[in-house]
Amino acid sequence: MYEAVHAYPDGAATVARHAATAARHGYDGVVVRTRDALDAAGSDHDGGVEDGGDGHENPVSAPAAIREEYGIDVVDAVEIDADDPTSASGAVGNYRSDRTALCVVGGDDALNRFAVEQARIDALVRPMSDGGDFNHVLAKAARDNGVHVEFDFGPALRATGGKRVRALADLRKLREIVSDCDAPYVVSANARSHHQLRAPCELVAVGEAVGFDAETVREGLRAWGDLAERNRERRSEGFIQPGVRRGRYEEDG
Amino acid sequence: MKHLPKHLRPRWRYLAVGVESWSDDEVGRRAFQRALWYSAGNLLGDAGSADADLTLLSFSHADGTGEAVVRVRHGHVDDARAAVACVSEVDGEPVGIRVRGISGTVRACEERYMGRATASSTQRDVAFGSAERAAVVRGDACDLRVESGRVGATTFDIE
Repeated sequence: MYEAVHAYPDGAATVARHAATAARHGYDGVVVRTRDALDAAGSDHDGGVEDGGDGHENPVSAPAAIREEYGIDVVDAVEIDADDPTSASGAVGNYRSDRTALCVVGGDDALNRFAVEQARIDALVRPMSDGGDFNHVLAKAARDNGVHVEFDFGPALRATGGKRVRALADLRKLREIVSDCDAPYVVSANARSHHQLRAPCELVAVGEAVGFDAETVREGLRAWGDLAERNRERRSEGFIQPGVRRGRYEEDG
Repeated sequence: MKHLPKHLRPRWRYLAVGVESWSDDEVGRRAFQRALWYSAGNLLGDAGSADADLTLLSFSHADGTGEAVVRVRHGHVDDARAAVACVSEVDGEPVGIRVRGISGTVRACEERYMGRATASSTQRDVAFGSAERAAVVRGDACDLRVESGRVGATTFDIE
């Protein structure tokens, strides 16, 4: 099972701290949503501490080095938080080729619509935040384009009072639509620090308390890993299109 | 009062809970118990909270790590686990929390999941990014301060 996290400078823990905590919690991998926190897989940097160059001093590390250190898979992802579909579209084009996973932050009707209609996008995250809405039309588009819709457990875990009630109501609505249309989904606690990470069993328990099936939550956590695996295969050398790989000729097969 | 016959006594499960906070934050026993009850009350409601019980039996916390034994009524372990997971702050300070395991007796709980030696912490300046920062290093974990607030790093980041 995988969890998708916000790392420093977007969150309050570095990728390594997230990875160490997630490994202790029993995850198989972390998906790092913050672009500035991690080198893209396959780039030339060999990890370690380095200067961002633009005065922004972040320790940037290579996924492979952290993977080796903590024995947990680290996926380089990017989360695109744009104001409107036009700028989001530009960013998607820029980052698709060098990041393993690509998420678009929803929360706005136009952006939700844009994200589910793009097969290049892996996941639409936080679709219901900030008054965004979701319906069966978007869910069907998400299913057809293979865009995973995120169930954000962050407010269920950390918000209180009316804010949490609204977030849970939105979560229920989203769950009903997504399960009815059979759209793919992912589950995440949207951790911004190592303190906010929760173990898979805990997320399952919280999910059950707010009306999810235990298996739905587990499936949503596994989906991050499946996404990463699929995209790695697609970016590998021999890949041409789904079902077609460049290989060697078989001798008199 | 005369104690209950055996079949009427409540049956309990004991949750071993690991707590992690920033190294300079204090997490008190009373504050933690209050956070547990609030979390259960908010998530499960009064009725569910009363069912699950969630009484803190033992608690210790120092240098940013702690552990607790929480008593839960048998059959409400999943609810209790959810309520424990929803504790995100104690007295306004963020905490990370994890259920290490569940036992049928306090003794088994303590023997199996508690009292792991935690590395002692040291305070020193470390290189993070391209600047020197004051940090508290405990084993592999390293909590440091930057302009924007506190950051959790590991020795991997500061080498």
